[in-house]
Amino acid sequence: MNAEPKIDAKARYAAGVMEYAKMGYWEPDYVPKDTDVIALFRITPQDGVDEVEAAAAVAGESSTATWTVVWTDRLTACELYRAKAYRVDPVPGTPGQFFAWIAYDLDLFEGGSIANLTASIIGNVFGFKALKALRLEDMRIPVAYLKTFQGPATGIVVERERLDKFGRPLLGATTKPKLGLSGRNYGRVVYEALKGGLDFVKDDENINSQPFMHWRDRFLYVMEAVNKAQAATGEVKGHYLNVTAGTMEEMYERAEFAKELGSCIIMIDLVIGYTAIQSMAKWARRNDMILHLHRAGNSTYSRQKNHGMNFRVICKWMRMAGVDHIHAGTVVGKLEGDPLMIAGFYDTLREGRTVQNLEHGLFFDQDWASLNKVMPVASGGIHAGQMHQLIHYLGEDVVLQFGGGTIGHPQGIQAGATANRVALEAMIQARNEGRDYLAEGPDILAAAARWCGPLRAAIDTWKDVTFDYASTDTADFVPTATPA
Amino acid sequence: MRITQGTFSFLPDLTDDQITAQVQYCLDHGWAVNIEFTDDPHPRNTYWEMWGIPLFDVPDAAGVMLALAECRKAQGGTQYIRLSAFDSSYGWESLRLSFITDRPAEEPGFALERQERAGRQIAYTTRAYSAQKPEGERYRG
Amino acid sequence: MVDSPATIDLRADFAASGLADDLAQLDHDLVGLAPVKRRIREITALLLVDRARATLGLKSQPPTLHMSFTGNPGTGKTTVALRMAGILHKLGYVRRGHLVSVTRDDLVGQYIGHTAPKTKDVLKKAMGGVLFIDEAYYLYRPENERDYGQEAIEILLQVMENQRDDLVVILAGYADRMDTFFSSNPGFRSRIAHHIDFPDYADGELVTIADSILTGLGYRLSAAARTALGDYVARRRGQPHFANARSIRNALDRARLRQAVRLFERDEGAVSAEALSTIEAEDIRASRVFDADKSL
Repeated sequence: MNAEPKIDAKARYAAGVMEYAKMGYWEPDYVPKDTDVIALFRITPQDGVDEVEAAAAVAGESSTATWTVVWTDRLTACELYRAKAYRVDPVPGTPGQFFAWIAYDLDLFEGGSIANLTASIIGNVFGFKALKALRLEDMRIPVAYLKTFQGPATGIVVERERLDKFGRPLLGATTKPKLGLSGRNYGRVVYEALKGGLDFVKDDENINSQPFMHWRDRFLYVMEAVNKAQAATGEVKGHYLNVTAGTMEEMYERAEFAKELGSCIIMIDLVIGYTAIQSMAKWARRNDMILHLHRAGNSTYSRQKNHGMNFRVICKWMRMAGVDHIHAGTVVGKLEGDPLMIAGFYDTLREGRTVQNLEHGLFFDQDWASLNKVMPVASGGIHAGQMHQLIHYLGEDVVLQFGGGTIGHPQGIQAGATANRVALEAMIQARNEGRDYLAEGPDILAAAARWCGPLRAAIDTWKDVTFDYASTDTADFVPTATPA
Repeated sequence: MRITQGTFSFLPDLTDDQITAQVQYCLDHGWAVNIEFTDDPHPRNTYWEMWGIPLFDVPDAAGVMLALAECRKAQGGTQYIRLSAFDSSYGWESLRLSFITDRPAEEPGFALERQERAGRQIAYTTRAYSAQKPEGERYRG
Repeated sequence: MVDSPATIDLRADFAASGLADDLAQLDHDLVGLAPVKRRIREITALLLVDRARATLGLKSQPPTLHMSFTGNPGTGKTTVALRMAGILHKLGYVRRGHLVSVTRDDLVGQYIGHTAPKTKDVLKKAMGGVLFIDEAYYLYRPENERDYGQEAIEILLQVMENQRDDLVVILAGYADRMDTFFSSNPGFRSRIAHHIDFPDYADGELVTIADSILTGLGYRLSAAARTALGDYVARRRGQPHFANARSIRNALDRARLRQAVRLFERDEGAVSAEALSTIEAEDIRASRVFDADKSL
């Protein structure tokens, strides 16, 4: 148990301005309770601002404090409601930046509301003048709080059962060009890709209801394509129908129509907001629908290391909010993604429990309290020739989306889809046979390409494509070599 | 047509050695392998007939291959046969792998029936050509 | 294709196989049994040479490895079978090296159509390892011509012939009954490559076994108790259902029971650790085995 903080009430509540640390927002001896929410911030104090005071200020501004002392605190159990900064460490190798651990009592938050949680944790505090920059790196969500959330509507296991697809990554593609196709032309792309061997095709994040294709038209043509491909292959197929719209009412209307047409999956964009996402997750649970989330907009605040929030926090919130799919990086593709950081995101989405792993950016042990698992989606600049690397880095519970890598195939969309599916199955077969598939990957693909013309053409077309840029969001902790 | 359910349907039919390797992969993970067959391969036909109960406590793939040989003897040629691997560990408790090992000589595929409805909607029904005959008489000559 | 090497270092091959550990373990686990241990070493050497011949590209058939272990109960047949499974695994002749131990009841059913699935279920579990069939002669009951055992025998023979790479079968039981069994089932005889006879333990060996069992339990024999146990062994051997090491283990269980009662019922309360760990002569001599002496 923690000792009661020894505060002289008369001094503490005298009117005027006081340092946050002295107001009780800095408690270095505090031991967080199992039911506390813990946040880990990266703080960059203004020159001359002490890091402990900066951490206490973050704790204060994200909980009970305001800029001056108020006597009305004394009408409340204010010791409990104060967030407590309890640890501040310098960021390794980065002068001027500090990690601050802050604990919040469970009573500060409304159950089942990401909006309420985030209004506190990333509310006013990010604009606070005493800090040059502030980044939310990680959170430990207590089991007691997790149990107030629905979690993923479907989850990885039930999604696989519904689709009858096991033991391999799922394959998808985003329809291209993302804008301008009519409904009739759009459905053609969907049919070709599904018949050729993909499991899913996807609307892009900004395909909603535009002059070139209104949403009902898209839904009708797409579902014709899905059903036709299902009959042509004997496999369950799907298309993520994007129901993102200007109002909840419109989103519900589109989701209902998708259900009426027999779609197994719908899609939303991150930009619709946390409350809208939670509402759609509840709708998806009620209607046996898989819910795909496109992380549109996240890089505006997740990419730079000193300010904003880490994507792993978005992963946690989205698992709580209840989506089934989320785009979480490819390692080898065209979008930002350091392998170690992405391993941390994927574990956060897929494991029942994660343990602290600083190299992967996981600061806390996190028990997921049997919330369903979220299927990560890898999308953006990946192709069949990288299949061994994709499976090595991302595992098998992932959707691999080859948009350009399917639709841009020189022999057509079906051939592109077939190339991807053959590459995938050949690699899974080799992995299961115990081969060193990462090292032998190119040989395994070449062997399959000897009997599969579409794969041969795909490898010839894209063999030299790589996106080799340094990542901006990387680990602050590197493994120290142990002496031999 | 070729039904592409199952993990390895896009590859040439697996040889017995290749099936053995996949089975051993499953057994080495502690999963129980289950043998199932059907002559109604509708994409949403979840419950194929079981060839006995899942093979629990079999450490070597040769044991599963023995059972597969029995199933083939009784059902091969007129039925689809698939192997699936069941993982009972907490948090999964479902299949980890599922693939077709045997197919009927000819796969006639499916008809897509369309029922027109209001508002340009169409209600689709996928019907297996094989399922137009009674169970057990499909895929025979 | 990889060219065959010109020579092979058998000693290095043996060292690399880790078989020395198995043989040492066998020596350690089993008291006496010198002829059995010699046969195991011979078979190991034969298989090692066989493997070397294959490596050098010399003509070599996949060897038949099915065996029969004959001897009275309690002479270490199951223990040796377990070690044999490990040895065959290290030599690469079975893939997993596990032992599945069964008797007639595990293989033969009670009604028509029951036996084949039962036998096949056992075979499925044993594949890749060693199937040990104790008292194998019970599979064959010539007095009943409709006995379902015959069905199990046919399935076993087929697998022993066709799946030699997948399974090694060891048939075990009393020597004389096994002889009769083999003469009426020549199919088995011709498929068995190695016969190992397990002799009864000598009296002194059984006392040594008793010492090692008790040490494992944290007990010891007093000098007088050891003498008593020697007398016990000599008498017990002549009585029905003598089962070598197994009889000794049972005798020691009963002796520990008597020791407990003796300590509990004596007058003084304090008991030393020494007394708690010592089996005395009276704990042995109270056995019914000595009843005949008393009536004299």
